[in-house]
Amino acid sequence: MIVANYLAAGAVFCLGLLAVLGRRNLVKIVMGLSLMESATYLLLVSLAYRKGSTAPVLAARPPGVSQRELVNGNVADPVLQNFCLTAVVIGVAVTAVFLTVVVRVAQHYRSVNADDVRELRG
Amino acid sequence: MSDRPAQQADEGWHRPGLGVAVVAAVAAVVAVGLIALPRDTAALPAIARHAMRIALPRWGTTEGVNEIVYGSRGFDTFGETFLLLAAVVAVVLLARGPEPRAEYVGEASAGRAEQAAADPEAPPDQQELQARRAEQEESEEQEPAPDHADEEPLGTPAPERSAAMTVIVRAAARVAAVPLAVAGVYLAAWGYAPGGGFPAGAVLTGVALLLYAALGHRAVGSAVRPAVLEPLELFGAAAIVAIGTVGAFVRGSFLQNWLPLAEQQTIRAGGTLQAFSGAELVEVGTGLTIAIFALLGMRHEWAGDEDES
Repeated sequence: MIVANYLAAGAVFCLGLLAVLGRRNLVKIVMGLSLMESATYLLLVSLAYRKGSTAPVLAARPPGVSQRELVNGNVADPVLQNFCLTAVVIGVAVTAVFLTVVVRVAQHYRSVNADDVRELRG
Repeated sequence: MSDRPAQQADEGWHRPGLGVAVVAAVAAVVAVGLIALPRDTAALPAIARHAMRIALPRWGTTEGVNEIVYGSRGFDTFGETFLLLAAVVAVVLLARGPEPRAEYVGEASAGRAEQAAADPEAPPDQQELQARRAEQEESEEQEPAPDHADEEPLGTPAPERSAAMTVIVRAAARVAAVPLAVAGVYLAAWGYAPGGGFPAGAVLTGVALLLYAALGHRAVGSAVRPAVLEPLELFGAAAIVAIGTVGAFVRGSFLQNWLPLAEQQTIRAGGTLQAFSGAELVEVGTGLTIAIFALLGMRHEWAGDEDES
């Protein structure tokens, strides 16, 4: 029932999108973006899962299984695990950029409401 | 600026009907896409099989994920590393204060003590009085924090300050910090951690934040300062460029292995894969720490009220 994980990731993504579209508080908008980002982590890890698989590690093998058998055996997808762990680190840095901008906006406009930040509006 | 009350401005939903309609449309498209994705019984993609096959013979590593991060997708990781560096530079530029600073946090209290010691008799002028009054009004701390967290007496009424958490938090942080840091670096150095330097760097940032939260800025101030972290981060980035460039000259391909492979599950097992992972540890650990502490250090730089000008 890995489809339940996929759909949960989709639901979290949509919740984040709803926060981005429906909220005017800049901090809540950044939280919505983080939620959308987290949904992709859940999706990537769920996509990497294989039924009855072991971790893609050639050390500490299950008893009676050689390294060659493990290479050709049933393991979780290492490529998607790689995508996930690099995305987590980049996501933290990008969220820090967003929050820094929010702090500067709050200091400049004395408001974290997106409707108050409209000096660039044509 | 809007005349609406702040409470009203921050609460509620903005055009909820339109938002729900757009989200419902996106949800329908996403659901169709998700249901069509491969299930948990599908065969592994060719690139994953390839990575598992070459992990030991080509790189001498037993970690399939590490082979992908620093081997097959090494150039992609190289790009992500510099994306991280760009994000950190953006945070540092945006968070930069009007004056050069030696520490990310805590210089305001240090400056107060220094000023009192250097010129205790001189009365403050009108501008200073006004600034101090404004600072007092905006500050949550009515009394200066003690020099060290352990000098805060037991049983001090709440709210607790970051510079003086309870003795339970301080003791727990002291006990947890060293094993956490050693475990993070050890797992990455011996090639046991999936992703190597990425998770290990995040662990080191977590340890710095743990100590800062439990013991205050003075406990981490000697290590967590721009003069230490920024050169270290650039060293990590330069090391990654150097490892890749030497591979291009010696082996004919950027980031190709040019070091001899040692026995598997030893510190030199992965050749340049392990060196890349170590440089990534420095890059991620310092980059995340700089970004978070630069954000924490943004204080008291508010624009003037409109009616004051």
